[in-house]
Amino acid sequence: MPDPRDRGQTRRAKISAMREQEERARRRNKNLTISLTVIGVFAVVLAAVFVVNRVSGSESAEVAAGESRFVRADSHKLSVAADGKVTLVEFLDFECEACRAAFPIVEDLREQYAGKVTFVARYFPLPGHFNAERAARAVEAAAGQDKFDAMYQRMYQTQSQWGEKQVPADEVFRGFAKDLGLDLAAWDKAYNDPATLERIKKDVADGQALGVSGTPTFFLNGQKLEPQSVDDFKAAIDAALAS
Amino acid sequence: MQRSQAEPLPELADAPLSAEDEEAVPFPRLLPRLLTTGGLVGLAAAFTLSIEKIALLKNPAYVPSCSLNPVLSCGSVMNTPQAEAFGFPNPLLGVAGFAIVTTVGVAMLAGAALPRWFWMGLQAGVTFGVVFVHWLIYQSLYVIGALCPYCMVVWAVTIPLFWYVTLHSLRRLRTAHSVIGYHAVPLTLWFLAVITAIGIRFWSYWSTLL
Repeated sequence: MPDPRDRGQTRRAKISAMREQEERARRRNKNLTISLTVIGVFAVVLAAVFVVNRVSGSESAEVAAGESRFVRADSHKLSVAADGKVTLVEFLDFECEACRAAFPIVEDLREQYAGKVTFVARYFPLPGHFNAERAARAVEAAAGQDKFDAMYQRMYQTQSQWGEKQVPADEVFRGFAKDLGLDLAAWDKAYNDPATLERIKKDVADGQALGVSGTPTFFLNGQKLEPQSVDDFKAAIDAALAS
Repeated sequence: MQRSQAEPLPELADAPLSAEDEEAVPFPRLLPRLLTTGGLVGLAAAFTLSIEKIALLKNPAYVPSCSLNPVLSCGSVMNTPQAEAFGFPNPLLGVAGFAIVTTVGVAMLAGAALPRWFWMGLQAGVTFGVVFVHWLIYQSLYVIGALCPYCMVVWAVTIPLFWYVTLHSLRRLRTAHSVIGYHAVPLTLWFLAVITAIGIRFWSYWSTLL
């Protein structure tokens, strides 16, 4: 026979166990609520940042008469077609390996379609590449001395020496400028000029407006081209020439 | 306590004991499950990375399955010295470590009561893991400048493993008690901090995807 005191204690123990369970459930709920609130606040802040960026973000400039988002008046042309019928635009990154792989193909095509196809190079340095933007500035600085072609080629020919290094390649690029016999003082000035960077960012903004997300991205007469082989390239160009 | 020692009532003996038990082990269900699934997920990621590394060794031109774009690129991460921090590929550590974690989880699910020294060993392991993973996060973000998706799976698994094993180890501390009640909050903040760091570091790239 359990005596009444014992029974009272049993009840108390049960109540306290129940209370504890409730307390635990309450804490569990709070734990979840606070965590979800934190995530919610994070999402709201993120969305706000996105919206602000959208509104004040770098809009690609207005398209003036005689140019397009694909080819601006100041875009660098590697070769020019007399009739201007077919234009191949490449958004490129000097540190991107796929771009380097495409480089000899594009060089061959330039030779093969000399005078028939306009080849345009647009800067699209990707942020994941440490020296891509520097390389673009180096090429743009050389372009100021009419050596765009030479510096462009030099970048791809030497990419394996300076690419993927994660250390600033300024001196390497300066060496290229010297080798090409450029006016180094002028090159230095252009290389460090914020206007040079602005010029590159204009190309990037155009690329983004056109939906470029990786490099190389080719546009043939305004149509995005995704060639799997050299033959694909030629077939597309031939078709454009024939049309 | 007035009750006689000779015949304790079953309810009496039961209720406080089980409550104390649960207090002693803060995550009786969560921890074994976390160790098992976390271990398996980490093991899968580390194993895949090892296979990719072997493929890369066989053919240096091989493009790993997780090289998706300039930012999400295993290839550029796997070829760095940081990927062999101790002179051999890091995923080998993961294959061994996560297999142990999985085994511990399964043993707990099977009802094993593990001694203190065993937990200290596990604590040492996950502490090493979490420190190493944060070094790798730093290297990946600020030195290499690329992300490797499989590696990020390992980051995502190692952090909660460390967190819950540590709370389990510190359960007797008074300060740990309040944290245990809100265990998911610091973990959430931790994840958001890493996500924020990734977002800021590669902002200019992410914004091109929009």
